[in-house]
Amino acid sequence: MASRTLFGIPVSAGIAIGRAYYLNKSHFSGTVRQTVPDADVPFEMERLTHAFDAALHDLERILSLVPEDLKEHSAIIESHLMMLRDHKFRQRALDHIALSRVNAEWSLERAVGDVQEIFASIADEYLRQRMQDVRLVAERVLGKLVGGESGHQAIKHRAILLAHDLSPADTIELDVNKIMAFATAQGGKTSHAGILARSLQIPAVVGVEGLGDDLAEGGIIILDGFHGRIIIDPDEDELARYTDLQTQFETYQATIMRSCHLPAETIDGYRVQVLANIELFEEVVAVNDNGGEGIGLFRSEYSYLNRDGMPSEEELTEIYMDMASLVAPKKLVIRTLDVGADKLMRMQSSAEANPALGLRAIRYCLKHRELFRTQLRAILKASVLGNVSIMFPMISGLQELVEVKKFYREVQEEMHSEGICFREDMPMGIMIEVPSAVITADFLAREVDFFSIGTNDLIQYSLGIDRTNKDVSYLYQPLHPAIVRSIKWVVDSAHRAGIEVCLCGELAADPFCIPVLMGMQVDSISLGPQAIPGIKRIVRQASMEECNALLKQVMASHSVARNNKLVREMIFRRFPEELMFYSSLVDD
Amino acid sequence: MGEVQEKVIRVGNSLGLHARPAGKISQEAQRYAASITVHSCDMEADAKSILDLLSLAAPQGTELTLRAQGPDAGDAITGVSKLFEDMFGEDR
Repeated sequence: MASRTLFGIPVSAGIAIGRAYYLNKSHFSGTVRQTVPDADVPFEMERLTHAFDAALHDLERILSLVPEDLKEHSAIIESHLMMLRDHKFRQRALDHIALSRVNAEWSLERAVGDVQEIFASIADEYLRQRMQDVRLVAERVLGKLVGGESGHQAIKHRAILLAHDLSPADTIELDVNKIMAFATAQGGKTSHAGILARSLQIPAVVGVEGLGDDLAEGGIIILDGFHGRIIIDPDEDELARYTDLQTQFETYQATIMRSCHLPAETIDGYRVQVLANIELFEEVVAVNDNGGEGIGLFRSEYSYLNRDGMPSEEELTEIYMDMASLVAPKKLVIRTLDVGADKLMRMQSSAEANPALGLRAIRYCLKHRELFRTQLRAILKASVLGNVSIMFPMISGLQELVEVKKFYREVQEEMHSEGICFREDMPMGIMIEVPSAVITADFLAREVDFFSIGTNDLIQYSLGIDRTNKDVSYLYQPLHPAIVRSIKWVVDSAHRAGIEVCLCGELAADPFCIPVLMGMQVDSISLGPQAIPGIKRIVRQASMEECNALLKQVMASHSVARNNKLVREMIFRRFPEELMFYSSLVDD
Repeated sequence: MGEVQEKVIRVGNSLGLHARPAGKISQEAQRYAASITVHSCDMEADAKSILDLLSLAAPQGTELTLRAQGPDAGDAITGVSKLFEDMFGEDR
């Protein structure tokens, strides 16, 4: 039988070869309508009632298992419980059995369809998305109807988990010892499932097109977490090739892990500090394991998203203090709330025509001073512990920065008068990610203690492209001369003012770009924890002399194609094994 | 049958009638024997059903009519409208 390949978004590196296991199989697509004789109607109704009760019981048990640190997820589980308890939903499904004389499975699907119809007419995006919840809830009931275990408990051997989507309840239940890798049909690069996979260090692919039920369960599949591929029924050649790749990757992984705790210093003695970008408290372990020298970017949004209402000052202070003391004596840079664009809080309206250029990040905070004050106070309170810095995102110019600093001082004075301790000289920095901030970087540098260049947004704004838009994402070119010049100018402006500059964003994790950044003499880079060992290894084998030479050529070039070729040649020549595992540029 | 009671209320919390408040209302409503409905323009929702309430999609400021019929209709109106007055514990 010929093999088949499905494509998705790679979210966690690695290769897994194993048997496929479906989680809560999407039974809906396979549900068949069966007419039942009158005499069996009460039996079907009873079956459905039992299934509802059993699903309810399961979810109640899961809710009681939610660990303290993941309690923000329990709101979602609670609302699922409410839906399972919803008598109207249940009644609707039961009515379909009684009225149409159909099997329980089919009537449940009809009831979901009814709700779907109502929800489809709702204008509110958030509410419409709750439809997804209704479906997840119904899947649980259906799982009970079709009998047997469909949950994680049923996994008997180590397997590759396939699912339509992994709900927070599912991820809490995951038994890591039995799961080699996972793939989901839903989800994007930043989904919770991806973060989870990276922190568990298991390969994962999300958003897989065509990941349906037709795949034979228990069959052998290959999951390629580098390129986002799922190979079904692989032939012998493919199996051999991927087994080789898996072994090579494991060897490579072992090699880079051995040296990941050594400083990132070039052979001619130039040292760059390697920090980590994280979002969750749990990720700190991965940072330490992978040789991170601190947290260069703590995204503080997590406490605000996927919840109703705002976190209190006490809640935030506790998180920041825990974090600061856990990371200490290493550096912890807390970035203030960066909501808007792709990250919306429930209380925000999503009605903006152009959210990336709208009320986001610092603009949102300046408009919602109470919310901003709460966060600033929490960060200031945490500054007495460890080595905390504060950083403001999306600064677009001097006037905005002055406004932020004024408010920041007000909050400090207020805390003074209340007799609350904080570290007066906590370093304060800004993200440089808007082109206007790049151009005026020399002015801004005099006002702050450090810069952090956010390359993801900078590239989008500078090149005027939305990289999530498939039609223009080809224009997302990190080595565009405009980007290279921008970064160089920001670094030079910072150094002239005597402040340090960090580079965070995907560019810092890109092996092809790192020699160029080294040539610019960035003081630190901040990247996803899992990418640290590989990047450190490149730095440790490179020389400043060759980085400088490369930068000189790149600065003189006026085409992206030539720049890509230049960096590719250097990596080919000097670090061939990097190519095999992180081939972001060679794919184009 | 029992008495019919009505009260006009307003959605005060900034997030509107989303999952959490809808859950609270249905939980509260289930405590009463009376049938309780929520009316918005021409729509009617069973206050004991979270899905029905969600389908109203009522944003902040929406005016709603609570209607209860049954032996404890008065208590039901008081209980449910108190949730609205407290803004479901949101917005402080």
